[in-house]
Amino acid sequence: MSDVTSLAHLTDEEKYEHFMRRIENDEKIEAEDWMPDDYREQLIKLITMHGISEIMGAFPEKEWVPKAPTLHRKLAIMAKVQDEMGHGQLLLRVAEDLLKPYGKTREDIMQDLFSKRLKFHNVFHMPSPTWGDAAVIAWLVDGAAILSQTMMLKTSYGPYGRALKRICQEESFHSKHGESLVLSLAEGTPEQRRMLQEALNRWWEPLLMFFGPKSSKETGHTNVDKNLKYKLRSKTNEELRQEFLTKYVPKIKLLGLSVPDDTLHFDEEKGEWIYQEPDWQKFKEIIKGNGPKSDERLALRRSSYENSQWVRDALAEYRMAAV
Amino acid sequence: MSQDQSTFYEEYEVFSRKKDGMPLEHRFSLLAPNAEMALILAKENFFRREPIADLWVVKRSNIRKMTQEERLAFGRLDKAYRETKGYADLVARWRAFKEKNGDQEVEIDDAGI
Repeated sequence: MSDVTSLAHLTDEEKYEHFMRRIENDEKIEAEDWMPDDYREQLIKLITMHGISEIMGAFPEKEWVPKAPTLHRKLAIMAKVQDEMGHGQLLLRVAEDLLKPYGKTREDIMQDLFSKRLKFHNVFHMPSPTWGDAAVIAWLVDGAAILSQTMMLKTSYGPYGRALKRICQEESFHSKHGESLVLSLAEGTPEQRRMLQEALNRWWEPLLMFFGPKSSKETGHTNVDKNLKYKLRSKTNEELRQEFLTKYVPKIKLLGLSVPDDTLHFDEEKGEWIYQEPDWQKFKEIIKGNGPKSDERLALRRSSYENSQWVRDALAEYRMAAV
Repeated sequence: MSQDQSTFYEEYEVFSRKKDGMPLEHRFSLLAPNAEMALILAKENFFRREPIADLWVVKRSNIRKMTQEERLAFGRLDKAYRETKGYADLVARWRAFKEKNGDQEVEIDDAGI
């Protein structure tokens, strides 16, 4: 514990120093603690993006509920969709508490989503045309998300870390589900194996893009650097991408699948994977909301929000009744 | 929107008891128009699969929290006088009597006499 016993008499600079000492000591920051404006802003950016990504991530999943090949898979996908919506709720709640000083609410988050001001992960803008895509998404997109979320468990912001703990626990089922889908196809007929390979070919670039570009040179942002300084995260985009390749390339090869990148190999000297860079301009366009499925899925989100207004209105009738 | 957002949904804190006999733990918060909806939403959102022994929801505005000031002041005082660690010298002092009197019957261990 520091020797500071009261914040009331400190200047803003001293409050900032006290705050940074807390960060360096791996203390957890809670919702009502003093925090620098840019810490709050980084958190809001990070957590709303994460929460909305969970919700928008349910869209490619839910497309397969009516088309799933077995009842077991249908139940599993529905469970996964419920989990993702639940995660979105958890995270938006954390974001709302941070937005309070600005007088903003979930309504504002929704409007930012519809106006494309708020961005979400590139992978959820992409189509999922075959059951092979459903399998690759469940195994590798969730796999990538799990790596990122596991890294963030130690985040300096208490409420986010606690939400992530629960999210990671539920994601472990998603991971098993994904493996199960992929194994079933890989163990199957030549046609099933071909469908799986073609899906992997489509998803390889989006998966590499998922982790974000290597350095501020490509995006012009310093978000990653700020988030590292404030211990919101502990690894860079590239470190996570390397982890992903180390974890999954051997397993992909084990299944007899190939990665659609002839240059991909592990350089023993450098101790890192060498691969063909994704098209980062394409990435920028996609997350701006110009991906293949962006408009369609946002329109669905907007219409469901508007169509459920009557439920919110009906609940308002009972606000005073049940206290 | 027809409702005034700031009064329609209120924050509720969710507490659950994992197993019989264990204490209630604070889990998360959610927005709801009333306590009944808060309980339903807590079940739907947080307890889809895990069995729990009990579930409480409390309106956040009914909770008296500590401010950051109060939390900072909390850890300051030395309370060894009311903890066993403040009496670590006792065992040696009992042993000294044992040696003086040569009494081998009385057992002295770390927990005292």
